[in-house]
Amino acid sequence: MQHPTGVGDGMIDFEELFEAAPCGYVLADRNGFLLRVNRTFSDWTGHSPDTLRGSRFLDLLSVPAKIFYETHFAPTLRMRRRLNEVALEIVSADGRKLPVFVNAVESGGEGTMDHQVRFAIFMAAERRGYERGLVEARERAEATIVSERADSELREQFIAILGHDLRNPLASISSGVRMLERERLSERGRKVTMLMSGSVVRATALIDNVLDFARGRLGGGITLCRDTSEPLEPVLRQVVSELRSIAPDQKIIARYALEEPVFCDRMRIGQLLSNLLGNALTHGAKDQPVKIDASTSRDELVIAVSNGGEPIESAALERLFQPFFRGHDRVRQGLGLGLHIASEIARAHGGALVARSDTVATTFVFTMPRAREADNVN
Amino acid sequence: MPIHDTVSTVLVVEDEALVRMLGMDILEEAGFHVLEATSADEALGVLGGGSEVHLLFSDIDMPGSMDGLELAAVVKQRWPRVHLLVTSGHRDMHSIQLPEAGRFIRKPWTNNQLINCIREFVIN
Repeated sequence: MQHPTGVGDGMIDFEELFEAAPCGYVLADRNGFLLRVNRTFSDWTGHSPDTLRGSRFLDLLSVPAKIFYETHFAPTLRMRRRLNEVALEIVSADGRKLPVFVNAVESGGEGTMDHQVRFAIFMAAERRGYERGLVEARERAEATIVSERADSELREQFIAILGHDLRNPLASISSGVRMLERERLSERGRKVTMLMSGSVVRATALIDNVLDFARGRLGGGITLCRDTSEPLEPVLRQVVSELRSIAPDQKIIARYALEEPVFCDRMRIGQLLSNLLGNALTHGAKDQPVKIDASTSRDELVIAVSNGGEPIESAALERLFQPFFRGHDRVRQGLGLGLHIASEIARAHGGALVARSDTVATTFVFTMPRAREADNVN
Repeated sequence: MPIHDTVSTVLVVEDEALVRMLGMDILEEAGFHVLEATSADEALGVLGGGSEVHLLFSDIDMPGSMDGLELAAVVKQRWPRVHLLVTSGHRDMHSIQLPEAGRFIRKPWTNNQLINCIREFVIN
């Protein structure tokens, strides 16, 4: 870039450039004794050049800055001959401590007469204030996070207590419906009690899932009581028969081939099936049957639940098991916890829950090792 | 099966009225003589009042001076011949401390589950 005409070196007043520079200049000899300071520095610090005669740069610093200067600044400068952006504190003539940044270079050969140290001093009060502001903002943000964490813990405890307390009136309603079912009822009455049972089943599953979720967040996780003391099949049949009441008109085809004992928490596996079946009944095509296939092989228990209807997009398929995920179809019921809890139950059993979906069917397949690890070894 | 030879009177302890009524219905239908109580204190009143009870069937989580497990422990001590069956919808067998020979059934129980459970007392 060309200089504008007429502004050559000869036009610059170097004396003025030094004295009125936008930073303080301090020149010291090799022993640190001040040779000259500029006007900017004098104005800032209130030290006139006359009063500084015979002082060292070190004498201008606050006590902590002196220590830092002697232990770090001076040795490093000697070694590298150049040092930039060092934060120091200069004590002004009236005793104020001025935060500054200092750049320094050594010029001239060491040990020679023209060996000098040049300091450029920048006021850093605002910069320091800005940095303090940043630190304070970070501390405030951290405090906010802590309080939000406490809030969310309280919220989850609240959910846990609410869910717990909802179970009692729900058990009452369920018992009342069962007593009515034992009465002689009209066909309409039977239909009403059946639908009420379905609602109770749905509400119970919802509460179970929310409680499990809240417990998971509170660190309890999903706890299992695994054994092989009783068969799994009656539990699964019970779940299927309960869920039939949710959708009395929908066909459910269940096939059981559970010949081998399964080392599992039967209530939990029942809950898993209930969540998968509830999902299929809610989102599947109403005119196509929901199929359940539960079987054991030498090593595994496999439970597959499939329904017809619109396939799930592959992007949605990946997020199905995240908590509170709800698809984009018209049916927007439930919290979106069912599949998440089902996958957590699968994981707790050392198994897996996967979903696949095409135009023929959407299928959820749960697989878990049938025996406990020790049994496999033996 | 002549289960009523050993267990013929059941004391049902449950604070939720409808749940208690259903339990009593099921047991009466199966041929038992059924007494009821809405709390542990009431149950001790019935037992202390001289009624002959063969089986205590109690909910665990109940308001009052003691819960179903504490009630079972007291009954075991004072009336050792009374069979003990406790029930809960949100506890499981592994997380509770039952007196020796006591049994647990998880809520909600079906008619058959409840009757079969009581039958097992007799067989053992």
